[in-house]
Amino acid sequence: MFEQQLINGLTLGMIYALIAVGYTMVYGVIQLINFAHGEIFMLAAFLAVTFITVFGLPIYIVIIMTMGCCALIGVLLDIFAYRPLRQSPRLAALITAIGMSIFLQNLAMIIWGSRPKPFVQSALPPFLRTTALTVGDASISWLQLFIFGIASLLMIILFLIINKTRVGTAMRALSQNRTSAALMGINVNRVISFTFALGSSMGAVAGIMVAIYYNTLYPTMGYVAGVKAFAAAVLGGIGSVPGAMIGGIVLGIAEALGAGYISSLYRDGIAYAVMIAVIIFRPSGILGKSTLEKV
Amino acid sequence: MNINLKDALKYLLLAAVLIYPLFSFANEYFLHVMVLIMVYMVLAMGLNIVPGFCGLLDLGYVGFYGIGAYTAGLLTIHFGLSFWVIVPLAALNGAIWGILLGAPTLRLTGDYFAIVTFGFSELVVLFLTNEIWLTRGPLGLPGIDPVIIDFSWFSTLINPEWDWYWEFIGPQPYFYLGLFMVALVYVIMGRMEDSRLGRAWFAIREDSIAASSCGINLLTYKVIGFAISAAIGAVAGAFLARWTMFLSPDMFKFWESFLILCMVVLGGLGNFKGSLVGAAILIALGEVLRIILPALNLPTETRFLAYGLIMVLMMRFRPMGFFPSIATQSQKNPILIKLKKELGSS
Repeated sequence: MFEQQLINGLTLGMIYALIAVGYTMVYGVIQLINFAHGEIFMLAAFLAVTFITVFGLPIYIVIIMTMGCCALIGVLLDIFAYRPLRQSPRLAALITAIGMSIFLQNLAMIIWGSRPKPFVQSALPPFLRTTALTVGDASISWLQLFIFGIASLLMIILFLIINKTRVGTAMRALSQNRTSAALMGINVNRVISFTFALGSSMGAVAGIMVAIYYNTLYPTMGYVAGVKAFAAAVLGGIGSVPGAMIGGIVLGIAEALGAGYISSLYRDGIAYAVMIAVIIFRPSGILGKSTLEKV
Repeated sequence: MNINLKDALKYLLLAAVLIYPLFSFANEYFLHVMVLIMVYMVLAMGLNIVPGFCGLLDLGYVGFYGIGAYTAGLLTIHFGLSFWVIVPLAALNGAIWGILLGAPTLRLTGDYFAIVTFGFSELVVLFLTNEIWLTRGPLGLPGIDPVIIDFSWFSTLINPEWDWYWEFIGPQPYFYLGLFMVALVYVIMGRMEDSRLGRAWFAIREDSIAASSCGINLLTYKVIGFAISAAIGAVAGAFLARWTMFLSPDMFKFWESFLILCMVVLGGLGNFKGSLVGAAILIALGEVLRIILPALNLPTETRFLAYGLIMVLMMRFRPMGFFPSIATQSQKNPILIKLKKELGSS
C-alpha cells in the first residue's frame, strides 16, 4: 500500500514538475504568474487527440507536433497578451493572464465540447497498461515507467539548455536584471518568447501524459493541474528550475499519501494547503533564495 | 436653485426604478434579475477595495461570499436568528477570516497574495462540499427562512389588535431591501474613499515605498482593507442566503470570483461607482447570453469566453475603466501635459 502510493505519487509528481518548470521560468524572466499555462497543458491534450483522430498519426509524432503547436501558442500568447503590458503595473498583467486563461478554457469548450472524453486507446501500444516491475507489493506499469523516463529526459534537456547554451545564459541574465541584460545586447523580447515556447512545450508533454494516465480529458483540466503545478513551483522556490522539479515531486508524493491516508475527499485541498503554508512560513520555497527588495 | 437637465434625468430614472416594482405589470423575472444585480453590485464594490484601492489581486473573493452565506444559512436554520442579527454576525465572520488570511500573507508581494486567495476560496468550497455533517455537502442547504420584520412585540404593547409582522414574499420586498443594502455600502465606500483610510490605500497602491516612508503601516492598512472587503462580501452572502432560501457549494465556485473581478475591471479599478455599472452590464449580458447560447447549441458556461476577452481588452486599452477617476483624468489636462514635457526635456 505504502509503496504503491509512493510510486503513484512519484508519477504524478513528475508531471507536476513538468508543468511547474513552465511557471517558474516565465516568472523568472518577467515576474508574471502565467495563469494561462494550465490552459496550454489542457490544449495539448485536446490537440493530441485531434491529431490522432483526424490525421491518424502515430503517438510519437503526435507528441512532437503537439509540443511545437503549444510552443507556438505560448509565443502568440506572449506577443498578443503580455508584451503590450510590459510597462504597465503588475496588476494589469495578472488580470490579463487570468482573463486569457478563462478565454482559452472556454474556447476549448466551444471547439471540443464540455464533456470529458477518453484518450484514443488504439493509438497507444497495448503493453503500456501491463505491469513492468514489482517492488514489494507495489506494481509499476510500463506507462508509469514511460512517464518517468520521458519526464526525466526532458528535465535533463531543459537543464542543459538553461545552463549550457547561449539562450539559456540570456534567460538567466534576464532573470537577474532585465535592463542590464538589454544593455549587454540581449534581445529581450526574443528571449522572453523563447522562454514561453520552452515552458509551453514542457507543459504540452505533461498534458498528453495526464490524458493518457487518467484516460480522460476535459476543458477544465488545466485549471486544477495548473494551480497544483503553481503550488509545486512555489514550494520549490519560484524562479528556480531545480526547485520546481523538486517541488513537483514532493507535492505529488504528498498528495498521493494524503489521499491514501488522510482523506481522498480533500485530495485537491492538500495542494492548496501546502501552498498556503509554504507561502506563509517560507515564501522563498525550498531552493529559492530570499531576496531583499531593492528600493 | 437650478437643476440642470442631466440631474433631472438622473433623478427621474431613480424614481422610475424605485416605483417600478409597485406596478402590477412589473415582471417577476425582471425583478429577480434586478435583485441579482444588486447582490453583485455590493460584491463588486466590496472587491474593488482590494484590487482597486490597494492594488492587490484578490482571486478568492467568492470564499468570503460563501462564508457569509453559509454563516447566515446555518444560523437561521439552527438558531432561528433574525436577519438583522445575522447580517452583522456574517460580516464579523467574514472579517475574521479576512484578518486570519490577510495578516500572514499580505506581507508578501501581490502575486503570492493572488494565489493564496485563490487557494483559500477553493478550500472553502472543498470544506462546504465535504463537511456533510455541517453543510449537507453537495445536497445543499434548503429551507432557510425568508427575511422577517417582526415588531409585534412592540405593536401589541400599544394595541393588542396590531400585529406588525411582515414576512418577505416575492421579489418586491427583496428589491427594496437590496436597494437599501446597495445604498448603505455605497455610502460607506464613499466615506471610506475620502477618509484617512482611503488615502492610505491609494498611497500604497501608487507607491508602497513612498507610502511607508510617509509613516503608513503597509501591513495594517492592507489587512484593514482586506477585512472590510471580506465583511462586505459576507453581507452580500447573508442577503443571498435569506433571499434564495437555498445554498449549495456550487454557488461559490471560482467562476463567481472571476465574474466579480470582471465587473470591477469593467467599471474601473479603484472606481466603486463604476463597479455598479460593471455589475449591471455583466449580469444583464449574462442573462442575454443565457438565452442566445443554447440557441447556438453551446453550453451556457461559454459566456465566460466573453468575460475573459473583456478583461484582456480592458487591461490593454482602458486599464482604469471607462470612467477614470478625476486624478487620472486630470493627467489629460493640456497644462499638465505641457508642464511634464518641459520638465522632462530639461
